[in-house]
This record gives sequence, C-alpha cells and structure tokens, in this order.
Amino acid sequence: MARFFAGKGVQYALVLLFAVTLNFLLPRMMPGSPLVFLVGEDVGFMSADQRAQLIHAFGLDQPLWRQYVIYLAGLARADLGHSFQQGRPVLEIILGRVGWTVLLVGISLLLATLIGITWGTAAAWRRGRRLDLGSLGAAMLLESMPSFWLAMIFIAVFAAGLRWFPVFGAMTPGAGLRGWPQMVNVAWHLTLPLATLTIITIPGMFLIMRYSMLSVLGEQYIATARSKGLAERGVMFRHAMRNALLPVATVFMLNLGYVVSGATVVETVFSYPGVGRLLFEAVLARDYPVLQGTFFVLTVSVITANIGADLLYPLIDPRVRHAR
Amino acid sequence: MIASLVLLGLALPATQAQTGAVRLAITRDEGWLNPYTYQTGFPGWNIMTLVYDTLYYPDANNEPIPWLVRDTRVSIDGRTWTLTLRPNLRWHDGRPLTSDDVKFTFEYAAKVAHSRWTPTTRNLEGVDAPNPQTVVFRLKQPDAGFRLRTLADVPVLPRHIWESVTTVAAARAFRNTVGSGPYRVEEVQDNQFYRLVATPQYFAGPVKVRELVLPIVRDATVSFTALQAGQIDATSRVLTPELVAQFEKTQGLKVARGAGFASTILQFNLEHPLLRDVRLRRAIANAINTNLMVRLLMLGYAVVGSPGYLHPDSPFYAQGLRFEASKARAVTILNEAGYTDRNSDGIREAPDGTPLQFTVLTLAGNPIRIRGAELIRTWLKDVGIGLTIRVAEDAAIIDQVWPDFDVCKGRRFDMSMFGWSAPVMTRPTALVDLFHSNCQRGTINIGGYKNPEVDRLGEQLVVTVDLARQKQIASQMQQIIARDLPIHVLFYQDTIMAYRPSAYDKWVFQKGQGYVTKLSFVDPPK
Repeated sequence: MARFFAGKGVQYALVLLFAVTLNFLLPRMMPGSPLVFLVGEDVGFMSADQRAQLIHAFGLDQPLWRQYVIYLAGLARADLGHSFQQGRPVLEIILGRVGWTVLLVGISLLLATLIGITWGTAAAWRRGRRLDLGSLGAAMLLESMPSFWLAMIFIAVFAAGLRWFPVFGAMTPGAGLRGWPQMVNVAWHLTLPLATLTIITIPGMFLIMRYSMLSVLGEQYIATARSKGLAERGVMFRHAMRNALLPVATVFMLNLGYVVSGATVVETVFSYPGVGRLLFEAVLARDYPVLQGTFFVLTVSVITANIGADLLYPLIDPRVRHAR
Repeated sequence: MIASLVLLGLALPATQAQTGAVRLAITRDEGWLNPYTYQTGFPGWNIMTLVYDTLYYPDANNEPIPWLVRDTRVSIDGRTWTLTLRPNLRWHDGRPLTSDDVKFTFEYAAKVAHSRWTPTTRNLEGVDAPNPQTVVFRLKQPDAGFRLRTLADVPVLPRHIWESVTTVAAARAFRNTVGSGPYRVEEVQDNQFYRLVATPQYFAGPVKVRELVLPIVRDATVSFTALQAGQIDATSRVLTPELVAQFEKTQGLKVARGAGFASTILQFNLEHPLLRDVRLRRAIANAINTNLMVRLLMLGYAVVGSPGYLHPDSPFYAQGLRFEASKARAVTILNEAGYTDRNSDGIREAPDGTPLQFTVLTLAGNPIRIRGAELIRTWLKDVGIGLTIRVAEDAAIIDQVWPDFDVCKGRRFDMSMFGWSAPVMTRPTALVDLFHSNCQRGTINIGGYKNPEVDRLGEQLVVTVDLARQKQIASQMQQIIARDLPIHVLFYQDTIMAYRPSAYDKWVFQKGQGYVTKLSFVDPPK
C-alpha cells in the first residue's frame, strides 16, 4: 500500500512539473507583447529607452531559463507573482474569484449530476420506449447547444423580456447589502448563469448514466434479482443504479477538478466575476503571471481531484479493493 | 475668510437638487482608479479624472479650459509658462493642494514610467514652485500641444502620499485614491463595480450626482440589454449602428448623437515592395467605395474619411479636402502604371511579374472591420487586385503591424484594417505622431511613411504655439498626406450613446468622444 502511494506520488509530482513548465512556456509562445497592459494604451508614445527600462523592471529582458527559475522559486514560496495588468498579487486575485466560480460551477455540477443520474436511469429503464427516445433526442439537442447562445436566449427572455432576473453581475452593484438580503441578491444573480451551465452539463451526465445503466441491466445478477421476485423499483435503484453509478462518479470527480477553472463563456456573457473570465482576460492581456497562476491552481486542483478519485474508488468499487 | 465664504455662498444656487445615484456601465476593470492603475484611455482616463484633477480640462469642444488654474502667463518665446493655482484647493484628506504637488507630479512622472504621463515630461527642462500658488514650467522647446496634451491631461498627485512609492511596480500596485477631484472612490469590487461618492465641498461648485456606480460589463450586447432593462442608466459604449433606430424608439431611453473622432483606416505598409508605389495605393483607394461602405456597414452613422486623416469637425481640418473614389479611375491608374493581368487569372501583375495579391489583417473582435475588409476584397477583385483576409486577435495584429508598440522595430504586413482612438484626432500634433518619418517622433507612423516635406512641416508644427499658424501648417500637411495616401481613411464612426433621462439628464456631450466627461457631473470653475 505504501509503495502504491509512493509510486502514485512520484507520478503526480512529474505531472505537476510538466504542467508547470507548460504553463510557463505556452503564454510566452503566443505572439504579442504584454507591454501595453503594463503601462497603458499610449505605450507607443514612449521613447525606446523608457520602454526598455520598463521591460527591464518587469524582468522581461531576462533569458527564458532565468525567468523560469525565478518562477519556480516563487512557486516554492507559494508566490504566484504580480499581475502585469493590475499590479496586484496573483494569488489575491485568484482567491477573490475562486469563491464565485466554485459557487457557480460547483452547484451546477452537483445539480447536473443529480438530474443526469435520475434522468439517465429513468430512460434506460424504459429503453426503446417513448420516454427513452424522446430523452435521447432532447439530450442530443441540449448537448449541441452553444452555451453563449443559450445564455443570450436566457438573457433576452428572462432578464430583458420578463425582467425576472438581472442581466449581468454577481450582485447588485453598489447596493451595499449585508447578511440575508445579500444572500438572496447573490442567489437571484446566480440563477441564469447557473441554469445555463447546468443545462449544458446535464446531457453528458445523462448519456453516461443511461449507457452505464443499460450495460448493468444486461448483467445476470439483475435477472437473478428479478427472478427472486424483488419489486421493480428495488431492482432499479438498489441493484442496477448503484452499480451503474461508477462511471458517473469518475466523470464527477474529474469535473470536480475543473470547478475552480470556471466556465469562461458563461462567466463572460453574464459578466460574472469568476476564474474563467479572469483567464480569458489574462489571455487577451498577455498577463503571464495571471495565466501561469490560474493554470497552476487549475493543475493542482485537477491532480487533487484525481488523487481523490484514486482514494475514493476502492470505497465505492469493491473490485478495485480486491485487485490490489 | 469671511469674504470667501460669502462668495462661495453666492456661487451655490440653493435650489439645485443633486441626483441620487447614477449607474454608468464601463467596459473593463480599471485597477484602483488612480493615475498609475487605471487601464483604458477611454473611459478609464475620463473616470480617473473624476477622482483626480488636471490643471486644465478639455471642454465640450475639446478646447482645454483652466481647471485647477486661475491664471496662465506664457513668455514670448513660448518656453516659460507661469500658472497661478486657484485658492483653497484641497485633497480628499483635507490637506491643501499646492504648487509643490504639481512640481512633484511632473518630476514623479519623469522618474516612474507611465505611457501617458512620462512622454509629457520629455520636453520639460524643469518645474518650479516659487510659492504655494504659483508653478512655473520651463520647456526645452515651445510645444503646440502643451495645454491639451500636458496641462489638460496629467492628473496632479498628492505629494504626501505618492512620495514613498518609488518604483513602477510599486506605483502599479498602489491602492491609494486620495485625489482632489469631485469624487472619492468609496468601494472597489474586483471586476464587478466601482462606487464613487461626490465630495461635499468641491472647489468648482456643486457636484450634480451624489453617487456614481460603475458596473463592469464586458459584453457589448449585454450592456445594451442591461440599459434597456433598466439595470443601468448609461454606458460608456458607443451604440452599434443596428441598435440606433431601436433605441431611439425605446420608451425611457434617450439617444445622444454627434461626430465621432475615432477613425477606421486601411493602413498600408509603405515598405512593401509593391505598396510603396503611390499609384498602386491611389488605385486601391479609388476602388473602395467609402460612401457605400458607410451606408452598408454603418447604416449611415459615420462620416466618410478625409484623405488628410483629420475629421471635418476637427478644428485643424484642411477645409474642402476630400477624396472622391472612382472605380474607372482605379482601372486607368493601374493600366497606366503597367499593372496588367498578363496570365489572365483575374489578378494583375506588376511589370516584374509579381501578382498584386495582398493580405489584410483585421481584428477578430470587431465585426464592422471584418465586414469592411470583405467589402474591400470584393471591390479590389473588381479591378484585378487579390486580397486575402486574415482575422486575428489584438495582440497578434500588434505583433505584426506594430511590434512592441515601437515603430523603430519595423513591420511585417501588407495592409491592415486599423483605427485610432478619439484623442489622436484632437491633439494638434497628431499629424506629426502619425506621419513623421523619424520613428522617435512619428511614434505611431506604423506604416513607415517618409516624406521630407511632411517632416519639415511637422517639426515646425510641434513648436508653433499660435493657433492660426498651427491650423495653417496642419492644413499644408494634410494636402500632402492626401496626395501620398500612406493610409486610406475609410470613415469615422459617429459617437452615439444612449441613457435613461429619468435617472439623469444633464450629460454633457464632448465632441467626438461622448458623455463620459467630468463636465457631465460638475460645471467648469468660474
């Protein structure tokens, strides 16, 4: 067991190092200079030596390997550097965003998973019948819907048309609410982005669950359970669904890692202050430190989710336990 | 003291009601809203100047008017400017604002690099503060743009606060927002909104809106929808043409329209072996029907470009200068210059056999420019010139057209859809920045244009302080530019902005730029 974890540990450390290196290199391989975001739009009016002075001040004239060493040394001290664009510590920026993103993406993942499981089970149970075929069609339709489009439709209908929900933001700007009214306000702003994100996540969960249920339903122990005269409901939930949940659990755990990375498109359309929008803006701004920092946090959380899945699997699947 | 209180009392009409709160959407995060952290030239600078004051301020016609300054004397040689500050100026923290702060500001800008403030210090020999009310600027050379580009642009910093912030990195991370302007920054929610609150005793007079909420709305469509739904009262964004008619009909919204000083141009690379030929550029310009382009793309909400760059509403516009496109003339010019289709593939070839096939770069986030490029491709095809459109994002285009924002570093492109923001149109020295062949002077001459006559006039213009003479030189320069066509100005999009009059109706429309100006919230000091 200890050897198993030691091996896994080395494996994850290598993945992390590889990812960190890639995080460092990729932004720098994009064409374009971060200079304009360092000093503002009028950078063209500066003299060449003023520009050179700035490039030097931000360490952008150092050879790549030195920048890399500085970056790694910073990481070791949990220092993600300062944003080029905002001048603030990257960690502070990410921490300010991550709450909003976890709220949005986390809840939508939970909702989508629960709905997907229930819907998938129900469809598989009535395989080939109207409910199943209709569901399959609906899932395909939802799956192929671009999230920005769905978001715009929601905004047009529920925000601009009916005015039930706000058009943008995570809370009413400048309202100065506290406590309970603030929570209600945040929930009210969350509704449309959450609905959008949930709706586009459901089909994936549904399809996996349905397929998994179908293969479980073909197993002999289902026939056995049925022939024992157990109630259909009991067979469906106790025998079939529990076993069919395994692939969904895997997908759920993997997605859990991406909860902190946010949902770029949905966050951008709704002007939601999450990590996804931060990432999008950092790409446009060539804000290397923010890009690196965000990818780093993302990498760590994906790896953590994987470790979580590794640890959790023996608990939910006895076969994995025995195989070891 | 008593006398000044009485005067103040007279200056404040007792009946003037202050509007409660106005929500004005902005396009992106503007840092802590101080002079070293705000991000965008528009609306970032405009919003920042609600918190900080400049010595002068551009009025509705973009003419600089005295703001913190009561009296200005210029020496005959134009090199010594003696400014007297208004009495009783105070920082938000109650300390007095003196000439010492002004002197500190310009010395600070010279030391701590900022793309907008630092270049203004290049021509400064020194700044003196002989007494708390008087500040003396000593210039190396007379400067045509000194009032607008320096005095009306650089915000005065409080010395007692910024003194200890000595590096660029520290200045860019500095969160203090103590200024002297009509508004204090009350709340900053990262990437969500700003809340500014009017200072109770502003020297220039009563502030018309008590609280300004500035939500950050990244997406244009969303911000217009929010305006229609009543979630915001105004937006710094200019309405897209297709929305104008709809917004004019919408109950509860008002649309303000005026000339726009932002340009849309077809930029040529003058170092390109074919495009360096003025006959070819002239033929291309003739093939492009800008009148039709304005009707198709802008639904008429734009003014057709002037070949001298400057907008007909600019005070420096060369009267009567215009470009009449003609496809027939384009064909004639090409034929006479020996550009003919030798292999009958529909594309003409240069005398040495090189086909007239070019790539035009255009910005991914700007559908109007993409559609404009498509129109140009069609029209050029008609006269036998091939055009490939390459759509790329901003940083990638800059990398090819204007590497590191340094025209001295050359260029790697054929043509590009491009544009300059409104301030480039208003400064009298814009033509020098745009067209001087020395890359240190022509800092935005991204096409690499060279003409000794333009250089000579430009050098004259920058040191000319007399307005009439400035206009005369600018006019001569535009005539030459119109002949050489280093760029082809397609159009200037009108500035069309919408707002909810029920929330606030006293917006001041700054010519060419719109209503996000300090003048919308406070009258100029008397």
